[in-house]
Amino acid sequence: MVEIEPITIDELHHVVRAGGARVVLLNVWATWCVPCREEFPDLMRLRREYRERGLRLVLVSADVDSQLPAARRFLSEQGVDFLTYLKQGADMPFIDSLDVRWSGALPATVLYDGIGRQLWFHEGKTTYDSLKNRIDQALAPPSEPAP
Amino acid sequence: MKPSGMRWLAAGLLAVAATAGGAEAPRALAIGKAAPMASVKMAGVDGKNLSIAEVKGAKGTLVIFTCNSCPWAQAWESRIAELGNTYTKQGIGVIAINSNDPSVKAEDDMPAMQERAKTLGLEFPYVVDATSDVARAFGATRTPEAFLFDAKGKLVYHGAVDDNAHKPDQVSARWLNDALAATAGGKVVATKETKSLGCTIKYRARQSSS
Repeated sequence: MVEIEPITIDELHHVVRAGGARVVLLNVWATWCVPCREEFPDLMRLRREYRERGLRLVLVSADVDSQLPAARRFLSEQGVDFLTYLKQGADMPFIDSLDVRWSGALPATVLYDGIGRQLWFHEGKTTYDSLKNRIDQALAPPSEPAP
Repeated sequence: MKPSGMRWLAAGLLAVAATAGGAEAPRALAIGKAAPMASVKMAGVDGKNLSIAEVKGAKGTLVIFTCNSCPWAQAWESRIAELGNTYTKQGIGVIAINSNDPSVKAEDDMPAMQERAKTLGLEFPYVVDATSDVARAFGATRTPEAFLFDAKGKLVYHGAVDDNAHKPDQVSARWLNDALAATAGGKVVATKETKSLGCTIKYRARQSSS
């Protein structure tokens, strides 16, 4: 069975910082959210393509408890075989703590570096190409100083 | 500079670039601003065409973007109906606007809106933003999302109904009710902006100008 663990915003920040990834792609989604479902296969594809280069995908569902069976079913259909999370606590602190520019509309996607510093935020549906470009930038080796 | 330092610098520059690029979401109407597109007529569930200007109340106007299909809108719909029905009797004009493209969610079409309005006993207009341009002009991104204007037509509250969509018995902050009460009483709204999770507004494609 797909694991969905309850998580508070403080715990989520800890999860983002932990784990030794070079880049962390965080996505907040819900089963009832059409654009979330549409972009989900791209997130999974990017995870497959970049996992060995240090990308970690962190999925946080904003579903309510009664929607958990549907969430598990969807994650299973998408081939998710890793721990995912279920948002706990009030909406507003969760939203503002992820990014103050976020209005609260789903989905929301945040890219972090390996120590939890935010590199990019996007509200609404993303595209494979846009995410790939951001991940490539984040994984690029630092440029050499000019001689 | 050491390689580790360069890595920090590169990450920092990338972060700055991301911030400069913005979140790519529309910017919501700022507190103090007037309602945009207030004279645009929108078809209501009762067959009448109404604009925001036409529902303006003597003490203020509540514009709330909502829909039939979103679980967050559904969770709050009874509270929205109650607030709207209460404050229309206290000098606040109320209008609920559905800006969703029903081709994305069929349950957002007019017959479903009419059914919803009847079931909820709405005593205020529930109208269709047929181009989604009213929502765009407000910078509304999600459902439900409330914009409350005072008697002078200035935005005094923007945001959520309260702080708990799915557990009404655990609500600790009734933001919209408090804002409505203050506005109806001619007082200053204490909490002017709040947020909640919600469904994206399913904007219709922009109309070609040609």
